[in-house]
Amino acid sequence: MIELQHISKWYNVGGKPVFILKDINLKVKEGEFISIMGPSGSGKSTLLNIVGMLDMPNEGAYHFFGESVYNLKDKHRNELYKKNIGFIFQAYHLIDELTVYENIETPLLYQNVKSSERKAIVADMLDKFNIVGKKDLFPSQLSGGQQQLVGIVRALIAKPKLLLADEPTGNLNTAQGEEIMQLFQQLNQEEGVTIIQVTHSEKNASYGNRIINLLDGRVEPSLQNASH
Amino acid sequence: MFKNYLKIAFRYLSRHKGYTFINVLGLSVGIACCILIALFVRSEWSFNRFHPNSERIYRAWLEEFYQGEIFRNTATPIPLVPVLQAGVPEIELSCRIASMRPPVKYNNNIFNEEVNMVDSTFFKIFNFPLLEGNKQDPFSTANSIVISERASKRYFGNESPIGKNLEVQLGDDNILFTITALAKDAPMESNIQFDMVIPFSNASYIWSEQTRNSAWSNVSVASFFLLQKGTSVENVNQKAATILQPLVAKNYKPGEYNVRMQPLEDIYFNTTLPEGERGYSDPKYSYILGTVGILILLIACINFVTLSVGRSATRAMEVGVRKVLGAERKQLVRQFWGESILLTFIAIIIGFLLALASLKHFNQLANRELFLSLNSFTLIFSVILILVIGFIAGFYPAIVLSGFKPIQVLKGKLNIGNNMGFFRKALIVGQFAASIIMIICTLTVGKQLNYLRNKNLGFNKEHVIIVPTNKPRQLGNALGKRYELAIQKNPKVISTTTSMFSMAQLGWMSLGYSDDKGVFRQFRFNAIDENFIPAMGLEVVAGRGFLKNNTADSNMIIVNEALVMQYGWKDPIGKKLPGKYPQQVVGVVKDFHFESLHTPIAPLVMALKPDSMFAYSSDVSYNASPQPRVSVRFREGNVQEHIKSLEAAWKTVAADENFEFRFLDEALAASYEQEQRLGNIVKYASFLSIFIACLGLFGLATLVVVRRTKEIGIRKVLGASVPRIVTLLSKDFILLVIVASVIAFPVAWWALSKWMEDFAYRIDIPWWIFITAAILALVVALVTVSVQAIKAALTNPVKSLRTE
Ligand SMILES: Nc1ncnc2c1ncn2[C@@H]1O[C@H](COP(=O)(O)OP(=O)(O)OP(=O)(O)O)[C@@H](O)[C@H]1O
Ligand SMILES: [Mg+2]
Repeated sequence: MIELQHISKWYNVGGKPVFILKDINLKVKEGEFISIMGPSGSGKSTLLNIVGMLDMPNEGAYHFFGESVYNLKDKHRNELYKKNIGFIFQAYHLIDELTVYENIETPLLYQNVKSSERKAIVADMLDKFNIVGKKDLFPSQLSGGQQQLVGIVRALIAKPKLLLADEPTGNLNTAQGEEIMQLFQQLNQEEGVTIIQVTHSEKNASYGNRIINLLDGRVEPSLQNASH
Repeated sequence: MFKNYLKIAFRYLSRHKGYTFINVLGLSVGIACCILIALFVRSEWSFNRFHPNSERIYRAWLEEFYQGEIFRNTATPIPLVPVLQAGVPEIELSCRIASMRPPVKYNNNIFNEEVNMVDSTFFKIFNFPLLEGNKQDPFSTANSIVISERASKRYFGNESPIGKNLEVQLGDDNILFTITALAKDAPMESNIQFDMVIPFSNASYIWSEQTRNSAWSNVSVASFFLLQKGTSVENVNQKAATILQPLVAKNYKPGEYNVRMQPLEDIYFNTTLPEGERGYSDPKYSYILGTVGILILLIACINFVTLSVGRSATRAMEVGVRKVLGAERKQLVRQFWGESILLTFIAIIIGFLLALASLKHFNQLANRELFLSLNSFTLIFSVILILVIGFIAGFYPAIVLSGFKPIQVLKGKLNIGNNMGFFRKALIVGQFAASIIMIICTLTVGKQLNYLRNKNLGFNKEHVIIVPTNKPRQLGNALGKRYELAIQKNPKVISTTTSMFSMAQLGWMSLGYSDDKGVFRQFRFNAIDENFIPAMGLEVVAGRGFLKNNTADSNMIIVNEALVMQYGWKDPIGKKLPGKYPQQVVGVVKDFHFESLHTPIAPLVMALKPDSMFAYSSDVSYNASPQPRVSVRFREGNVQEHIKSLEAAWKTVAADENFEFRFLDEALAASYEQEQRLGNIVKYASFLSIFIACLGLFGLATLVVVRRTKEIGIRKVLGASVPRIVTLLSKDFILLVIVASVIAFPVAWWALSKWMEDFAYRIDIPWWIFITAAILALVVALVTVSVQAIKAALTNPVKSLRTE
């Protein structure tokens, strides 16, 4: 499903390139649940953003379902992106001016789903995740765990094949975090959603079926091999 | 999708009330100004266009060549209309209009009314609808009279006027007319105005048969023609020349006497031909006001842009999230555009309400009867406003906002607007420059008008009442003399004089002749009496004034310095005008302004009896047949009482005549009415523009300060004093105002010099006005920014740091 080849990213600091990602090669098959781990500043978020097509490397190739992402026109890439990828953030990033319902509905708007269909899909999801009662509240009226749940529902609303999560439990307490992890596992196992998450917690990482360790922009070879 | 945009726009606007309020207030005030100015300009440009056939209606004007000079007249000979109607097939209809102001009597009410004597085609050519009475044939007899609603109200209140009889004084006769129809009042945007209309067959009461049928050198009536569709005007002009040539051959060579057609729609703005009955307007004033309106709108739009961009930091997160959720850039552009259009829409509604509320005041200011209603004009105007403001003002914020990169935003790396970007600085400079230009213009225009009001005119304009006799020359003179006699015993009266033209009356007679060297000379002329010079306070600088009961003086003239200068006389007394004039100069008066200060003082001749002058003149031209006026100089005191006693005296000499009067100083001020009105409108406009600019500045200062709250907190912790922090925050703005001044000064100077060209007498544009304007803008900016800066500087630094 995903194939990264020789991905490198660097910034020029004082005329010298400082590498954030160095020659990353990564293959992800459909249905995997991958956890990216590593110390702060090791490039986890950068890698996730590159996989999520929000960021571009300075070097390397990226194939998504066989399509060479960097050779696509912006429009096609956007199309590919919004059909297939859902994003979840540590800081939830719900839109403050929109209600729960409207936040969840927004990705469908950008995919030009008809109004009646939208209603059905959103109602279905609200029901499935047990947040029907919260649908008219604004994000500021929800707890952190509830907000992240809305964030997840919003990421899932368009039935993406790939779910990307950058420290989704970072702002939550252990119990809340556990619930989210169980939800991820369920999505991965029952609905076949491919998941890549960034996490600092060994425990959370263990929900997945593969761990990638990053150190100074490189994939730690020993651990990569160990998981195979 | 659209509903979603609308919803979020509304939520956003209502959540950020301060921002919305400032934006909407600025825009709606700007829009209100724009609407009022647009109404005014539209009224100016719609003059004479309310006739369905207006583009086929022409007014004839006369062009005469004499000794290498050209004379133009918009009054024409009486026989012109019948002669051309008979000879030019392209003329569908034609109509003469003789405008008079005779006394009209009903029971014991006498008013001087605007009476038009017209051909019966009047109601066919022009769009003056008849409301009541004989609408098909209002002029069934020679004694038919049509009355306007306004005049009817004056005489009959709410009663129907039809069938009532009015006595109108024509020439020396009082003629009884019967009202046959009631006409709708002529709109304000018409050069043809009337209280009453009578058939042209009554011309015999006023003009001799010779004048009516063959006097081609006398100009008495306005001549209007309705041409056939698709007619070439040049063709009509040519045919007219061919027809007229044999009729004027005695006095004019071919090509020296031309009748030309001027489109009716051209009359109001054409300042090259002599002013007709209703005057005209310089289109310049439309342009000036239009520019002012656009400037105000521009300032409001700039507010909009700077505020939206200033707020962009708060909206960046939303942009980032939406992009992550799959939004394309153009969808975001559309969303932000939609918001600006929604805001504009709200502002337009409020703007219209504001305009509606201030319309009455504006009408007084502009001397118009403008009204605002929901018609195609206002609709088109609003759509244009929405497009212009919504699209143009919304364009930049939309582009800026939609361009944010999601990862940068979400990482919190976005570093927008910590200091103002170049573009926003340029906008603020533009805003201030526009405001400074307007302040400079307001102050200078005010100063020039003040100068005009207070300039020594060479005569004493205070405490003088002018009473028109409304009678032709001989009759008027006799009445004037009788009236003078009646009031001379009045202790409040200092002196009186009767003259053919009074001060403040435009268009003193212009006479021309060829002198002994064959040079064509022109001068102005007034027939006065021996009291005129002392009563008006003119200064005799050589010789003497006219003496009472000195019969020899009737062959003498008094001239002004300008005439002496023109002839280069060393010793003017006893000189005769070169050429055929026998009159001898007995005195020279110091130059005085008998015309408005727009024009320099022309050479002037004054005599006791005009007849002998006319006999020697080859070119006599004046607006209407002059009707002598009495000027009364009175003592200071209760003016109302003076008027009462003057009116009582009037009734003893002219029981049947309406007593009319005018204060000389007010009449003089009226010559600068247009400038005065413009000055007032510009004054309001510049005040509002500064207000709007300050709103924007206030909003921007708030944003800058809010964004720098943390920095201010740290600086305070490090020991910075409040004044230091205020200085820090104000520095940028001060620099911007200075740059704006540098741009504004030359522009304002250029615009003002252009405007001042209209005046022969004008002030030098004082440099201190420029400094004042810049300082004013600076103070306003400083106060606005400081209020915010002080507030920020005074907050407890611990608080602002903790909330970070
Ligand atoms: N614009 C930039 N210029 C220079 N260096 C940058 C820039 N943006 C990011 N970096 C560097 O890239 C590195 C990787 O950042 P990234 O956010 O991917 O780390 P991370 O592994 O997600 O860390 P964390 O666990 O703290 O979230 C960091 O060391 C950061 O300093
Ligand atoms: Mg990270």
